[in-house]
Amino acid sequence: MRAGLLLLLAIAGPALAGETAYVTNQPANSVSVVDLATMKETSAIAVGGSPAGVAVSNDGRFAYVTSPEGKFLTVIDTAINAVLKKIPVGNGPLGVAVHPSGAPVYVADWYEHRVFAVDPVAARIVASVAVGKSPSGLAVTPDGKMLLSADRDSNQVSFVDTATMKVIGAIATGTRPFGVTIDAAGLRAYTADVKSNTVTVIDLGARKAIGTVVTGERPYAVALANGRGFATDQYGGTITVFDLKTLSVIRRVETGSYPEGISASADEKFVYIAHWDDNTLDRMDTRTLEVTAEAATGDGPRAFGNFIRK
Amino acid sequence: MLTRRLLTVGLAAALFPAIALAHGPTRQKVTLSKEINVSPDKVWAVIGNFQDMSWHPAVEKTTGEKGNEVDATRQLTLKGGGTIDEILYKYDAAAMTYSYRITAVDVKVLPVNEYSSHLTVKPNGDGKSIVEWRGAFYRGYMLNDPPPELNDETAVKAVTGVYQAGLDALKTRLEGGS
Repeated sequence: MRAGLLLLLAIAGPALAGETAYVTNQPANSVSVVDLATMKETSAIAVGGSPAGVAVSNDGRFAYVTSPEGKFLTVIDTAINAVLKKIPVGNGPLGVAVHPSGAPVYVADWYEHRVFAVDPVAARIVASVAVGKSPSGLAVTPDGKMLLSADRDSNQVSFVDTATMKVIGAIATGTRPFGVTIDAAGLRAYTADVKSNTVTVIDLGARKAIGTVVTGERPYAVALANGRGFATDQYGGTITVFDLKTLSVIRRVETGSYPEGISASADEKFVYIAHWDDNTLDRMDTRTLEVTAEAATGDGPRAFGNFIRK
Repeated sequence: MLTRRLLTVGLAAALFPAIALAHGPTRQKVTLSKEINVSPDKVWAVIGNFQDMSWHPAVEKTTGEKGNEVDATRQLTLKGGGTIDEILYKYDAAAMTYSYRITAVDVKVLPVNEYSSHLTVKPNGDGKSIVEWRGAFYRGYMLNDPPPELNDETAVKAVTGVYQAGLDALKTRLEGGS
């Protein structure tokens, strides 16, 4: 029985191992579904409302997409790559993250300065919490207990207890933090600070900033892979690669115009980078730091959040 | 002409001071390209100097510092008034491309925020060229629900107008043989 199952898995292996990217194309009002094995766009899902943020659930079944202009959250069923429902959320929904258990889905509202907890099944807001000004990126710790909100216009990260939906603290970051990423161990978080051109490194246990990395111009988001951090420098057109132990910059790699959303593959061999201006998703080898493949997307890909279905 | 239209569009803007540090969720982009029937070298000779934007019909005067080095600055004085301050952040003469940003402009002059731009000349076979002008920017009003004169559409229209006028004038000048 067990051998049979393993054999089945082995046969089905390549298909099962295939990862898929869900890339929000803001001006095109769509989500590009990109097969990362072939680096081809396999479909484009009409979403509307200028989609920007995206988060794929840990089990891979759903992709959640925010539309700041349309003021709704779109639920995409990844089995059929179609829109299941659209849920009205706030006044400017942008950052989005999914609880590791699959629900709720957290949505940051840029204009209302709140984070909403959305029940994706009931399709309604079940809780909300006031955070700092213009919350942007969101991230949940792997144990699901803590939610981080990068409050862009308050220059801070808020810590929210997910059980009570209450803010239990905040710490100062660099200027205008946008993306926030938590490592797999749940020990550290990294913010991309748009105006100070830095990544702020936060110790989650001690809840304090423990270091700063100087990036290129206008960092947008950070991915972590292979012991390295990768920050997308929007204006610089570069990826700032830094060592996660020493926090020293390894290299600044030119990739394309307006690199924005960035996510790592499950095996950490690659990071995938959406280029808003070039309309591409690029694959970078996390060891050699070379761009080894490029896929065409729709117009204006942002892919702000965890956009890879693993 | 163009400037005057932009001025009119932007008058109401003075009532809504843009919040320079906030950045609304939807960045806009405009790309225009034009075929010009002369070689890339000849096009680059006209537009490749960051310190001289006299090829654009709306520009009266260009003053600046540091030539074509990264971080070079220039100030464009427009016909009919208004100025635009810009900084060069990429320059590659071999690839015939450069990128720059606006560091200061009144939304009365151009209803945009956080504007950046690339200008590139590419060969198009048989001694012809394609000039591509790309811009990325936010609308003039950075908060939610903008007034129509400062919305996304107005910003895109204004930038498209600037690019169209520039590329048209460039084509006329170069193909005219002067």
